[in-house]
Amino acid sequence: MTFDATMRIDDGTAVVRLTGELDGRSAPTLNQLIADAVAAQVGRLVLLVHDVTYMSSAGIRCLVFAHQKLPRGAEIVLVGTRPEVAETIRLTGFDRSVVLQESVTKGPAEV
Amino acid sequence: MIGCRLRLDAGSSFAEEVAGLVRTLSAKAGLTARQAYWLRLAADEITTNIAQHGYGGRGGVIDVEGAVEPDRVWLRVEDDAPPFDPTGYDPGPRLAADPPLRQEGGYGLLLALGRLDGFAYDHVGGRNRNTLVMRRPGAAPAGG
Repeated sequence: MTFDATMRIDDGTAVVRLTGELDGRSAPTLNQLIADAVAAQVGRLVLLVHDVTYMSSAGIRCLVFAHQKLPRGAEIVLVGTRPEVAETIRLTGFDRSVVLQESVTKGPAEV
Repeated sequence: MIGCRLRLDAGSSFAEEVAGLVRTLSAKAGLTARQAYWLRLAADEITTNIAQHGYGGRGGVIDVEGAVEPDRVWLRVEDDAPPFDPTGYDPGPRLAADPPLRQEGGYGLLLALGRLDGFAYDHVGGRNRNTLVMRRPGAAPAGG
């Protein structure tokens, strides 16, 4: 399964569009983009994951990496999470620290 | 009974082979998409854990065998790494920590065991044996 990740940074927000399977093989690609976003000093990370069909614990580790590297208080938003991926996030308790949204909103995530 | 078997080199990239075996078994068993997803995730996490922690990245043999029975699908994963019982792993302390302050690792086994209908660990003939079970749709719940 191919994996693709592209990032655009605008006005302090990094938006990363992911496609495919986020596992041990593809996670380093996402981590590199997160590192690039951190270097650009963003305060908000938005992951567009409508087309992420599979996520293993390697994907969870990417979220931990993002939490560790982004400034304290930075918002991490996942948009369009599929049911199994959302369940993976809930099972590991990361729904307490990332925002899960159906669609993109501007600025701070709507509750 | 319909069965499949794989012998993996833990030093190689084997995730796609494992996923393929699980896909084949899940299709033959008529598992739901959700069940097939979680069985694949469990197999992925268990084999990855063996390769990374059991063998410490040095390589080794992982045998994966599976079958469809009237009421269930099972996968058996065996390795020659030092004895390790995944059911003894306690994710509690890790989950109790505030997510931004957590360590990176330690979620694989939680995910592996999280949505299976059954899991068993045995140490047999000097090998670790992990058995993963998913009940087929329509099968009666396990009575013990």
